[in-house]
Amino acid sequence: MADRDWRRAVADRVSDPRLTIAGRELRVLGREKTIILAVVIQLFVAAFSGFLVVGLVSLYDPGSVDGYQIDAAVTGDATDEMLAAIEERPAIEGTRYATTSEAYADFQDGAVNAVFQTTRSDGRIEVVMTAPEGSIETTLVVSEGQEALRALERNLRTERAASLSNPPLPLPPDTGGNPYYDFTYTILLPLLVFLPVFISGSITVDSLTAESEQGTLELLRVAPVTMVDIVDGKSAAMIAIAPLQAVAWLGLLSLNGVAIANVGWLAALVTAVTAIVVALSVAVSLLAPDRRSAQLLFSVAVLLFFAGATLLPGGPANTAARLAIDSATLSTRLAVLVYGIVGVAAVGAVRRLATRINPNRL
Amino acid sequence: MTRVDRLRTRLATAGRRLRRVARIARWELGQSTSSYNRRTLAVIAVLVVVVASVGTSAVALGVASPSPNTDIYRVGVADNSPYNAVIDDHASLTARPPDRTALATGEIDLLIGGVRQPTAGPGPRSPTLLVEPADGEKGDAALTAFRSAVQSYNDRAMALEPNRTAAYPVVVELQYIPQSTLGPAAPTNAGNLTGDDTPGDDADGDDGTDTDANATDANGTTSDVDGGPANGGGDNTTGTDSTDSDAPPVADGGGGSLLDRALFGGGTSGSPAEIQPPFPFGSLLLAFLFLVPMNFVIQSYGSSILNERISRRGELLLVAPVERLDIVAGKTLPYAAIAVATTAIIAAAIGGSLLSVAAVVPIAMTFLAATFLGAMFARSFKELTFVTITITVFLTSYVFIPSIFTNVTPIALISPLTLVVMELQGEAVSLGSYLFSTGPFYTSTAVLFLLGTGVYREEDMFSQKPVPLKFLDALDARLSGIRSVGVLTALFLPFVFIAELLAIAVLFVLPIEVSIPLILVVIAAVEEVAKSIHVFAGFESDRFDRSVRTALVLGIASGIGFFVAEKFTVVAQLVGLPGLQLGEAALQPAGIGITPSTSLLLLAGPLVLHTVTAGVAALGARKKLRWYLVSLVAATAIHAAYNFGVVTLYG
Repeated sequence: MADRDWRRAVADRVSDPRLTIAGRELRVLGREKTIILAVVIQLFVAAFSGFLVVGLVSLYDPGSVDGYQIDAAVTGDATDEMLAAIEERPAIEGTRYATTSEAYADFQDGAVNAVFQTTRSDGRIEVVMTAPEGSIETTLVVSEGQEALRALERNLRTERAASLSNPPLPLPPDTGGNPYYDFTYTILLPLLVFLPVFISGSITVDSLTAESEQGTLELLRVAPVTMVDIVDGKSAAMIAIAPLQAVAWLGLLSLNGVAIANVGWLAALVTAVTAIVVALSVAVSLLAPDRRSAQLLFSVAVLLFFAGATLLPGGPANTAARLAIDSATLSTRLAVLVYGIVGVAAVGAVRRLATRINPNRL
Repeated sequence: MTRVDRLRTRLATAGRRLRRVARIARWELGQSTSSYNRRTLAVIAVLVVVVASVGTSAVALGVASPSPNTDIYRVGVADNSPYNAVIDDHASLTARPPDRTALATGEIDLLIGGVRQPTAGPGPRSPTLLVEPADGEKGDAALTAFRSAVQSYNDRAMALEPNRTAAYPVVVELQYIPQSTLGPAAPTNAGNLTGDDTPGDDADGDDGTDTDANATDANGTTSDVDGGPANGGGDNTTGTDSTDSDAPPVADGGGGSLLDRALFGGGTSGSPAEIQPPFPFGSLLLAFLFLVPMNFVIQSYGSSILNERISRRGELLLVAPVERLDIVAGKTLPYAAIAVATTAIIAAAIGGSLLSVAAVVPIAMTFLAATFLGAMFARSFKELTFVTITITVFLTSYVFIPSIFTNVTPIALISPLTLVVMELQGEAVSLGSYLFSTGPFYTSTAVLFLLGTGVYREEDMFSQKPVPLKFLDALDARLSGIRSVGVLTALFLPFVFIAELLAIAVLFVLPIEVSIPLILVVIAAVEEVAKSIHVFAGFESDRFDRSVRTALVLGIASGIGFFVAEKFTVVAQLVGLPGLQLGEAALQPAGIGITPSTSLLLLAGPLVLHTVTAGVAALGARKKLRWYLVSLVAATAIHAAYNFGVVTLYG
């Protein structure tokens, strides 16, 4: 007799109703196969945008186009200075042209990609820079030409340093590093990693409000589960799937050749932020009068949460970027910890709220 | 009955229907505003106020770091170095103690050393700062960011110099001229060529002032228009400075970051710091603003449609003496109006004109149409949430990503957002480009609404079926006879184009030996599915008898429908878009851009191909799903083989 009681106690422990609810929630998500399809489509779109970002970077980054040489024609009375400046840029080759019309004729024929037409005028050098219009090379030509012109400006400023009260600081050399290197980490990665967080919160709202609108929460009166159990189970399932998706995105980015550091910390960050957002969505769906208001409130609240958190030091986007790019400091890790604490506190607060809510009134 | 009478009765019917639509729209509006009750709106207002005040106080206290790239590059620099000021001014850089071992272990990304003075020989003529980047891409990127930070620091220092000539020894005028070898130019700045020849010839033995005047003449208008809208969203102070031509101003702001650099963008004259490569980032960001409110609109719209189905309220409307199309139109009208209104407000706010609105409205309509169909298919609100997110992500990337390439390739015109970016940059947009980029969106909207309205009936609205079956039902609802099969195939064409362009965009990064065959197969598969899926739907619902003869007839009808629609779009491309050679060239190897001018064989070839493959697929479609898939593979194989043949023969 006592033995049987003991067994039942263990069985009760193991088959926690909250786990049952969480499992059911995930099974329902899986059964509605369109949801899997939707995730697959998201993955595809992310791959698509990831590919395009990589393509974009190589398109706008002159350093990545190895061996591409821009031939420039230089004319006018400041040709010497301009040629000296162009020499500093390995990607441009300058040629002296005696007359401007010859230079433009060669440009028209495509023999040169750019024309620098120089004129001295009261102490300044005026340059008319001509780049091909509507060509894939345009961006490359303009950005390289701009660098050459800045070199010219620098050289002239050095010559006239005596007339300047604060001469410019010397520049480091240009090694052709990727100027859009941080784009992937600071914009694309936070976007991909926090999208699942938003999805999780949104599903929680749907799941809870659907129960209350269909009146199934009334069955709680006869079921051996409490409102807190339901909230726990549903939140646990939703908090679990977000980091999984985020890690999948990270894997996809790695496949695209983006090195990602601190994957564990990133997963922890996503889990913590998901806990906050899911707690928010539970609170909204318990308090809002109906589904549509709940969804609207949730969308606005999440947008404001991210906007507000971004303004504070250690905002989620910046924290994720610093972790992924391997520039994390103690304060970054502390920020993750703070998100974790806030997440736990938020979940705790929502559970207290759930005990006070009368399921029949929902 | 005279013609006038007939016209009058028709007008009266139309008026009655319009009134009905308006009544339903009013009802829908009342219902949705009442569900967002005052308390909800008050809570939202409170939230906005709280976050705004926290945000502003954070900014005021100086602890705010809104830039997502804050402190991502760590630079080792001595405490007394003048470069500390540079690093402080730049969000993405942070100062660390200079330590060579830290560089090796990856604790810092860049180490700053001494200064090398210019030497007499070759090499730079100004002093160079010696730096050591850490190994790898990040070290180089850190160096690039640091370099541009120093550059913008210097630019700001120069702006304060009293001696303007010494501070700004170089004045640049940037002009774009099409090169003859590149083929016909983009239509935007066609006048440039003639104008720009003048300074070239004039300058020859002439003094400097003349050249300068001419150059400004040729480009003055363009740069003026360029500056206006770009500055509207960017930095206003520098924008007004730009007009002062005597003391060339300076690009301020953090410099290195993508955002800072790009928002300022678009300059074509001034000091070298001010000219900008044609990267339309500022305009792009502004164009993205149009897409944000659409998510809210479709969320609300989808909920309303699904609510109708789940709570069975729609039943009451269905039994009312109103046509289905009117119900759908009435329910959609308020949301469409909200979408148009917000679009207009945003356009007014960011300095877009009517063209921006006209370009964005078809996008908004496609959002609504896709949401409508999704809400007709979804079984639960959870499913609807996923459908909505999928629509948002898919449409946003389809619309936004091509517009990044606005200045690079005309194929960017597949997205209407490109028109907005062009307009914000002050470029002219031709009617042909407008039709080309918005046409698929208008037709997609129409087709999606058509399919959705087809299942707006009791047996589909209130039944719980998996989405694929619902989809087949929706297709079947549009079928009536043999001719309708061909028509439906033709209507699928915009989706076929969208799918094929997506495939090209995804696969273009692969090496060409892999990507071209893969694209040919993918395109064959997409086209075969488009030609046969509704035939399958028709057989599944027993609309057609499952005989071989019927299958072949349907296949031929579908193939002809596809052929006609495809040829129509090719003709439209040739007539409307002479500037789109590149886009056509991109599609040419894919076998869908074959020009009708070459020979009769080339014209007849696709017709035979499309009918044969559609027939093959239809033969399989009359049996179970498994046989349909088998025949689909066979049809795809035939189609791909034909594409290979065309590419090797004419490519």
